[in-house]
Amino acid sequence: MVFEREAETTLACGAQTSFRSRRRRTQRHISPSVRLILRMEYVSPEGLRLDGRRPMEMRQIRAEIGAVSKADGSAIFEMGNTKVIAAVYGPREVQNRSQISNHALVRCEYSMANFSTGDRMRKSKGDRRSTEISLVIRQTMEASILTHLLPRSQIDIYVQVLQADGGTRSACINAATLALADAGIPMRDLVTSCSAGYLNSTSLLDLNYVEDSAGGPDVTLGILPKLDKVTLLQMDSKLPIDILENVMQLAIEGCKAIANYIREILLENTKQLEYRRGV
Amino acid sequence: MVGLSLGEKHFIQGGIAQDLRCDGRKRLAYRPISVETGVIPQANGSARIRMGATDVIASVKAELGRPSLLLPDKGKVSIYIDCSSTAEPAFEGRGGDELAAELSNALQHCLLGGKSGAGAGIDLSSLIIVEGKICWDLYIDGLVVSSDGNLLDALGAAIKAALSNTGIPRVQVAAGTSNDEQPEVDVSDEEFLQFDTSGVPVIVTLTKVGRHYIVDATSEEESQMSSAVSISVNRQGYICGITKRGGVGLDPSIILDMISVAKHVSEQVISKLDSEIASAEAEEES
Repeated sequence: MVFEREAETTLACGAQTSFRSRRRRTQRHISPSVRLILRMEYVSPEGLRLDGRRPMEMRQIRAEIGAVSKADGSAIFEMGNTKVIAAVYGPREVQNRSQISNHALVRCEYSMANFSTGDRMRKSKGDRRSTEISLVIRQTMEASILTHLLPRSQIDIYVQVLQADGGTRSACINAATLALADAGIPMRDLVTSCSAGYLNSTSLLDLNYVEDSAGGPDVTLGILPKLDKVTLLQMDSKLPIDILENVMQLAIEGCKAIANYIREILLENTKQLEYRRGV
Repeated sequence: MVGLSLGEKHFIQGGIAQDLRCDGRKRLAYRPISVETGVIPQANGSARIRMGATDVIASVKAELGRPSLLLPDKGKVSIYIDCSSTAEPAFEGRGGDELAAELSNALQHCLLGGKSGAGAGIDLSSLIIVEGKICWDLYIDGLVVSSDGNLLDALGAAIKAALSNTGIPRVQVAAGTSNDEQPEVDVSDEEFLQFDTSGVPVIVTLTKVGRHYIVDATSEEESQMSSAVSISVNRQGYICGITKRGGVGLDPSIILDMISVAKHVSEQVISKLDSEIASAEAEEES
């Protein structure tokens, strides 16, 4: 039975790579046959992943507030080799007068640096993938911003990927949360995001690029940790429901761990601001 | 986008006329430069430069390619600049493309020499592997993360730092291939060759505000400029390229005067940058 399920995922993986690989082949050339060989070894018999982590271990995270001094709020967020910068401008006057409303207008733009991936690529801003991610980030952040407190104003969130090694979506959301907090924008709660996947019949937390391109299921989750609400949920490929529950639970744990870290960073930043003011 | 009141404009112009600028600098003084190397591990070389609130990243990637037919004994280098919208909301969408193109062109003029490759800061013949067959293509990518004026000088410095951080893999060419075939090569994973970057020039931009000119202008000061001249100078004191921006015409004698000033300033910039790059490299290794 277990064997059958394995075979099924392999097939699903084959059908699914055609879509994923189209956008990824530009980044790194992994032929499907190599991928199948690699697929066998995502988790070693000792229970270690390709980069030496345990299945439920997250990559090292690092955050820094105030990376772009001209912006109203900004942050750098790193998850392993994935590194993104987020800058927030606003709340400010609405630029396009026809969009004025009783709620704050939240806008977001996601872009990748030319050097962010293994193979150099040159592509224009606004391709389908970045438009989709911009939308996802915008919707996720909008859910936590108290937009009704900021009528007739606009908030711009810009995220720039410096290095991509899987989980850029999550890293962007975490960076955007920090930048919004740095800009002092009223929020219901911090939004944090983390991904989890399922490979070699093991649930894995925080997939890196190689694991992500394996074609297995990849669940990206965003939560409001204090309110315990899910604001973002995306999954590709297929999974039995009971396993999905397991994987989702793992992602939630990851999100909560990130939330704790972000809170620490914010607290430290606030303490420093206090110190500089001489309070 | 800089919105200044009339009073602020007068304050900036008056300060420059009296040789005391808003941040306390003199007309020919640079802001402190901080250099960080090896910031992008996937690239062959990278550097991040910060001057005040200006923040740029440059990365160098080397790929194997074919030399062009006209110059079979030289490798190829191209420079692309991208203005991230994190630097300014106006760069959103295609908004930054115009500035990016202007910066890329100016840097190409200043660093790469003419079409023939003569006078380039990088020795293009060192990029050749097999003449007429294989060479290294260097892709230099610059990213403006935060902008507070003087982007060109910062990008020039970042590229210089990134090039001195660059390691090009050693390549073994399989012997015994005939002249017509593309020779087989073996790219080493362990052995890297370092570039000679002592010839890479630095760029000094002189911005003319009122009757005087200043170096390393902030974006407020740039908004008051009438014209700006970017001069690239190498260690020997040779001028490697000049670009002029801004709509107002300049007297030829003033340009010559600016060039001699730029040459003088460049000496300090080169020595400052060299020591910063050396300490950044030392820090990366430790």
